[in-house]
Amino acid sequence: MESRSPSIAAIAVIGRYNNPLHISLFPATGPNYEQERDRLEYSFMVNSCLDIFEARMPAKTVGHDFGLLHAIDERIAMYGWLTNTCIKLVIVVDMEGRPATNAEAGKTAILGLRNNDLTPAFHAVQTAYIRLLRNPFYVPDEHNPKKAQGTGSLHIASPGFTKEIERIAKIWYPGITTL
Amino acid sequence: MAAARQSLAPGDDDLQNPKISAAALDFLLIELVPLAQRITEQLHAREQTLQAEYNRSRAIASSVKPVPPDVPAKEENGSNTTLSAHAGAKTNGSVKGSVTGTVGDETATVTSLGFPAMSEETREGVFFRLDGLGYRVGQGLVERFSANKPRASTPLEAIKFICKDLWILVFRKQIDNLKTNHRGVFVLTDNRFQPLGRMSVDRRAGPRASEDALARAQSYLYFPCGLIRGALASLGVEATVEAVSSDIPTATFHIKTKGSKP
Repeated sequence: MESRSPSIAAIAVIGRYNNPLHISLFPATGPNYEQERDRLEYSFMVNSCLDIFEARMPAKTVGHDFGLLHAIDERIAMYGWLTNTCIKLVIVVDMEGRPATNAEAGKTAILGLRNNDLTPAFHAVQTAYIRLLRNPFYVPDEHNPKKAQGTGSLHIASPGFTKEIERIAKIWYPGITTL
Repeated sequence: MAAARQSLAPGDDDLQNPKISAAALDFLLIELVPLAQRITEQLHAREQTLQAEYNRSRAIASSVKPVPPDVPAKEENGSNTTLSAHAGAKTNGSVKGSVTGTVGDETATVTSLGFPAMSEETREGVFFRLDGLGYRVGQGLVERFSANKPRASTPLEAIKFICKDLWILVFRKQIDNLKTNHRGVFVLTDNRFQPLGRMSVDRRAGPRASEDALARAQSYLYFPCGLIRGALASLGVEATVEAVSSDIPTATFHIKTKGSKP
């Protein structure tokens, strides 16, 4: 069997009122196939993280990294990050998401991720969100279920943001230092 | 890594090491107030013209009983434009219930120093506009600058973040005094508020001069009000913010969080 290495399966951005702002899915790739992920299934998985955020929030007053939230099975695990503005970032990692490029990378699938392997990815997603807020065409209140007046979608529609999230997911690997 | 660098546009700035000219921000803050005033006045004037046109076309339509085919079309047109003008004015934040303001009188009244005075209605519109602008800026600033700070879990911590971190970023000094009743009301005092720092009172103009100066300085406090409100909203505290200046370089901000007791 070919050796596999971890990759990002999904990146989700969730707003203050637990409203989904953005969910991007990334297929598991092989030498000559791409296995799509089920949007509904991942939506439920991200939803299941929200209670863990809620439960850990009072105890965790310092730092933004919520670490491993929970693992679905041997492959899929979810990691969380909370910004000061209560934006929740969730990254779903597929431990066997892509073929290993070398023997070293193949081992991480068995050894597991280290604590701060995902920190650069979270930093990059947060930076992307900050950049989004500096876009004058993005009005945060239009994506806030308590304040939005129209009936439009509350999801982030900015193509720049989507592209940046995609870039982060594509180039991340365990042990990367900057994204 | 190379891909990461390439994806950044050459003009894109470094988030961790920002560079901004303080003078540029000052000029922007100064220019914002007359801009808001002009926009509000122009919208107001346009609304009035449209209303007048609509009234006239209605008068014509009602006076001509056997309706000619082109007149109802005209009336419909008129009412449509008025409606859209109303909608436009409301979405833009300048809330005006009735169209009874008098633009003619407004331009005629002038303060003792020869500056056109704002009517109550214009002032309201200017306030909504500047407050809204500040609100959006506050939200963005907090998202950007709270990234490496500890999380504020109580309203007091959120206010402290504003006093210490945000104020230094925007106005280059800390808030001088923070008072609270511990039941949701906060009073921030800045003894030398930077936007008012270069304003002066013409002492020769008599006792009314300082009143005039305060009235004119008031509109420069609306944007910072919105800034505080937006910053607090981002940190999860809903509040109303009012600012007063009792003596020129000092400014006092009254923050009432939602559900507070006086």
